[in-house]
Amino acid sequence: METKTVRALFERQVEAFTGSPEFAALEAGCGDYDAFIENVARAHLKSPQLVAFLYALAPPAAARDLLGNLLEELGLEAESERPHPALLEDLLRAAGLGHRLVEVEARAADDVRRIVTEPLLYSALREVGLAALTEIVAFEFMLSRVSGRMARALATHRGLAAPALEWFTHHSEVDVRHAEQGLADLGAYAAYYEFTDDEALTIVEMTLRENVFTRRYFRDATAAGTPR
Amino acid sequence: MRLVGATLYALRIPFVEAFSHSATERRWSDSVVVRVRDDAGTEGFGEGAPRPYVTGETVETMLEHLGRDLWPRVAGRDLPPAGHLPGLATFLPETYLAGALAPNAARAALELAMLDCALRRVGRPMASVLPPRRTRVTYSGVVTAGSVERAVQHARRMRAIGMRHVKVKVGFDDDVARVTAVREALGPGVTLRLDANGAWTFERAVAVLDAVAPLGIAAVEQPLPRGPVDDLARLRQATPVPVMVDESLVTEADADALIEAKAADFFNVRISKCGGLARSLAIAARGSAVGVGVQVGSQVGETAILSAAGRHLAAALPEVTFVEGSFGTLLLAEDVSVESVRFGHRGEAPLLTGPGLGIRVVEERLRRRAITVRELSTEG
Repeated sequence: METKTVRALFERQVEAFTGSPEFAALEAGCGDYDAFIENVARAHLKSPQLVAFLYALAPPAAARDLLGNLLEELGLEAESERPHPALLEDLLRAAGLGHRLVEVEARAADDVRRIVTEPLLYSALREVGLAALTEIVAFEFMLSRVSGRMARALATHRGLAAPALEWFTHHSEVDVRHAEQGLADLGAYAAYYEFTDDEALTIVEMTLRENVFTRRYFRDATAAGTPR
Repeated sequence: MRLVGATLYALRIPFVEAFSHSATERRWSDSVVVRVRDDAGTEGFGEGAPRPYVTGETVETMLEHLGRDLWPRVAGRDLPPAGHLPGLATFLPETYLAGALAPNAARAALELAMLDCALRRVGRPMASVLPPRRTRVTYSGVVTAGSVERAVQHARRMRAIGMRHVKVKVGFDDDVARVTAVREALGPGVTLRLDANGAWTFERAVAVLDAVAPLGIAAVEQPLPRGPVDDLARLRQATPVPVMVDESLVTEADADALIEAKAADFFNVRISKCGGLARSLAIAARGSAVGVGVQVGSQVGETAILSAAGRHLAAALPEVTFVEGSFGTLLLAEDVSVESVRFGHRGEAPLLTGPGLGIRVVEERLRRRAITVRELSTEG
């Protein structure tokens, strides 16, 4: 599976996300900021668990990167770091949404529960792992390019100060490296588990058949068929 | 047990990608969900999908018909016992809707809601009314319209998730190339059906079917528009591909006419289209009695409510050749139940064993996704 093909798919997703009416509203000062903050937290509160799952499936060539990601999610990569879920909790509290934390936690847990209990679409863990890795890397790719814009929108229009936005600023700095590593890891994963190019690309395309960012961050969007 | 209230929700749930065929393109679910409440506070949920080109209903006329004609005739009355589906069907009066072939989506939605409510009240599963004859249901995949390239992409996805039965939407200038490309992408081990949604003329149907028959086509669905059944009977004689009727099969009278004319190899029985579970069972039984195969079909964009009902029907029928539906969040941005009804690898899905329809509907999602909500009481 060629990296440039996957990169092009990611770029189209990011373009559609930032071109969506919901994203435009966020930057223009007329977004539903509380819903957006809750959705971002819900989407990423359980990231350490998902990265741990991917680490368990990682081929040798990608294991070190995924372990690094996992330690970072847990705030264990450097002494000064905090676990990423804690940064999201800070964001909720700073936005005056601390009272929603239990509900958001419950919804994030329910999302994991749903993934685990839903019948598997694929026949083996290798396909499940490729689909999950695709989505994680897609988010890293998007965050490395867009999280700065999201942070600015929240600072400008929701009045959040820099410490509250650390989850976003951290990702804009770190995910440039992660995204590039991630693209290489996707290729390593597909090669190690002996996917043909067609098989791997079909699973990547299926994972990205909808805009994964819009789906997670703007859950109540009413427009369907956002062009990709 | 008396029904004391109902809520109608006209939904608009976005699709994750557009679904198109020769008759229309859909970007969101436009089902109508009915919630009924009895005098003990038990709730039940049903769903219908109005289709102007199938039953002649629209969302607006369905809401109107439910509120004005159907609900007032069941509100405040004692429901028959939970275990008696024919009694429940009879309890729901025959109604007519001007300009429609039959108000079947409205009828199906209310029938399912009443059945769900009656079963929940006594904590019994659907299996107590419709005993299953199999332990799991195997669904078909669908390749929607669009370019041939997109059709091939969809076919590859179907292969990736191991679907054993796939239907391709046809009714376009490039039908032969489309079916050929999809067959190549799927490989020989997958059962392939076509669905023209009534888009072909007789001559076009014969030409396309003759060309693609060597590719191994299990059936062609609704090749001609709904019309004289003799046309379908003639086509059946003119092509080696088995003919399945869909839009031509809405009522029990349609079933009788199709059987009389020997116009179909398969019936596509859809709960919303056919007016509920009881009538779907009756139509399927009429077909099976004379050797006509049965497909349990679905409505594009149906929520978990109709999908659950379809699964119970598919599990209970003595013979069922193909089953469609239960796409869940493969198609909908969000489904309405706690439990996922989506099929898994190879299109397989387990039976639903909880009380009533076997799913727990999240009312907050209905309210959030509704463009219209109407409350009905015993006063109307």
